[in-house]
Amino acid sequence: MAQARLPEEIRPVMENGIPAQVGTCSADGIPNATDISRVYHVDPQHVALSNQFFSKTVRNIRENPRACVNLNDIEGCTNWILHLEFDHSETEGPTFDEMDMQIEAIASMTGMSGVFKLRAADIYRVTSVEKIEYGLPS
Amino acid sequence: MATKQPSREELGSELEQKSAEVRILRQVSSDINATLDLQEIYEIVLRTMDELFGFHHALILLVDEDGENLRVVASRGYEGQTLGGVVPMGTGLIGVVAKKRRLMRLTNLGRQRSYIAAIRKQMEEAGRSAELEEAPPVPGLPDVESQIGIPLLIKDNLIGVFSIESAEQKMFSDRDEILVNIVANQAASAIHNARLYRAEEARRAELAELNQTLEDRVRARTAELERANRVLRETQAQLVQAGKMASLGMLVAGVAHEINTPIGSIAANTDIVKRAAEMVKQRIEAADVPADLAKDPNLLLAIETLQQASQTELLACLRITSIVKSLRNFARLDESEEKSVNLHEGIDSTLTLLVHELKKGVEIVKNYGDLPNVVCFPSQLNQVFMNLLNNAISAMEGKGTIAITTERDGEHVVLRFTDTGMGIAPENLDRIFDPGFTTKGVGVGTGLGLAICYRIVQDHHGTIEVRSEVGKGTEFTLRLPISR
Repeated sequence: MAQARLPEEIRPVMENGIPAQVGTCSADGIPNATDISRVYHVDPQHVALSNQFFSKTVRNIRENPRACVNLNDIEGCTNWILHLEFDHSETEGPTFDEMDMQIEAIASMTGMSGVFKLRAADIYRVTSVEKIEYGLPS
Repeated sequence: MATKQPSREELGSELEQKSAEVRILRQVSSDINATLDLQEIYEIVLRTMDELFGFHHALILLVDEDGENLRVVASRGYEGQTLGGVVPMGTGLIGVVAKKRRLMRLTNLGRQRSYIAAIRKQMEEAGRSAELEEAPPVPGLPDVESQIGIPLLIKDNLIGVFSIESAEQKMFSDRDEILVNIVANQAASAIHNARLYRAEEARRAELAELNQTLEDRVRARTAELERANRVLRETQAQLVQAGKMASLGMLVAGVAHEINTPIGSIAANTDIVKRAAEMVKQRIEAADVPADLAKDPNLLLAIETLQQASQTELLACLRITSIVKSLRNFARLDESEEKSVNLHEGIDSTLTLLVHELKKGVEIVKNYGDLPNVVCFPSQLNQVFMNLLNNAISAMEGKGTIAITTERDGEHVVLRFTDTGMGIAPENLDRIFDPGFTTKGVGVGTGLGLAICYRIVQDHHGTIEVRSEVGKGTEFTLRLPISR
């Protein structure tokens, strides 16, 4: 089973609040890409994605546990590509609580408390990490 | 992946920065513990945050009494009014920090808002507007990008939230989080202590006020009781006196009745004896009486003696009648209701009863004016005259002059009793009408005489005043309405 370790420098990028993009694929090979508000750092081998309302992503993951996440580091002019594999879902515990708290804060600021709710923290194992430096436009 | 080692300059700079942070933290610790003034504490906290991070937007919010909201009690760096602004528990970063009682930091909030706005728009387009709520207005920056919120906790109790906001996409580091936490913990303790102190002061002030109120009430109640007690004693004394007067009146009436009949008989018989003696005398002076009988010296002496004795006896009877009349007049048993009377008669009757005392060397000078009859309870006023005259006689130790002056003054009569006695000491003048006050010593005076006079005069809607000079004498002035 492939296993990668997240570098320390990726952590501020995960916490920078810039929405990321997640790509999944159904069992019959149809891809899906969508924005997610945040990718949470669980430990150097695992990340968590919020299971809220992107039902197609959730459905795909249940059929095909592999996912790909694009993290945007605007300050560093860098993108990070994480290759993930779904591990398990959590509906309690420190990771869930931390995600829940942040989502609740943002949702209540924007009048989305009733909609923007965390249903579960989906924990993914990191299988590889890729850093893409695109540089400043000339 | 190789990690770059920090240079010597970088290490030096970091060390310098940490030293500065430690200095600031020590300073805030010292400043914050030196005051119990809440506004000063807020100011120290806000200033320290500014010094540590250079953030210019900060809020201190405390939990309202109902525990449902947080209210801004201090702020720094905002345009417009933020003080008093309310954040409901569970709303926004501040409300959620309060609800969860955990520190939270968020960055790039603008992008997150845009992201959520996009979702919101999608939902609206999908006809799901009913699921959406209005975004509540929250005090602070409208375009906040980075925010850190720290719960202010005392043990496990939330007292408020401290929040720093920035319009920049600057991220708070783990190090910032530690520093903010240290200051927030100190702030929480200081705010808690100041509030306790304030509550204690308020409690103490309330207690002092309660004590004062209690003292005032006790004082008022005591005065009320003293007043009631005085009235009770006066009334009691008056009742006793009235009882005595009633007994005296009945006694006088009985005695007068018993005496008047035999006295009338004695007076009538004495007159008969006197006239019979005169007839005997005329008879023996007649020509047909033998000379030896007409010139019998013993017979003539006997007739003379009989005549003189009869005369003396008649005068004695008149005297007895006069005394009995005075007694009846004084007691006025038959006049227990209001009557229109001549006060001079009452004064004279009183003087008659005191004749024995007056004989020792008291001269009475009457300066009676032209007084109309006065509507009053005669026996009560006689009692006043008796008290005043008795006191005057006592004050003169039996020798001196009592002047009694009466006059009319409009719708009032004025009666003055002036003696040449020892006078009343100035320190006692204000107390002479108090029940129980006496200078005569235990067992001699009851201290009720003048109190009764005062009460009787008051009951007659009149006044009684006293002027006195030690060694010269005293003057009591009664002023009574002619009719009521």
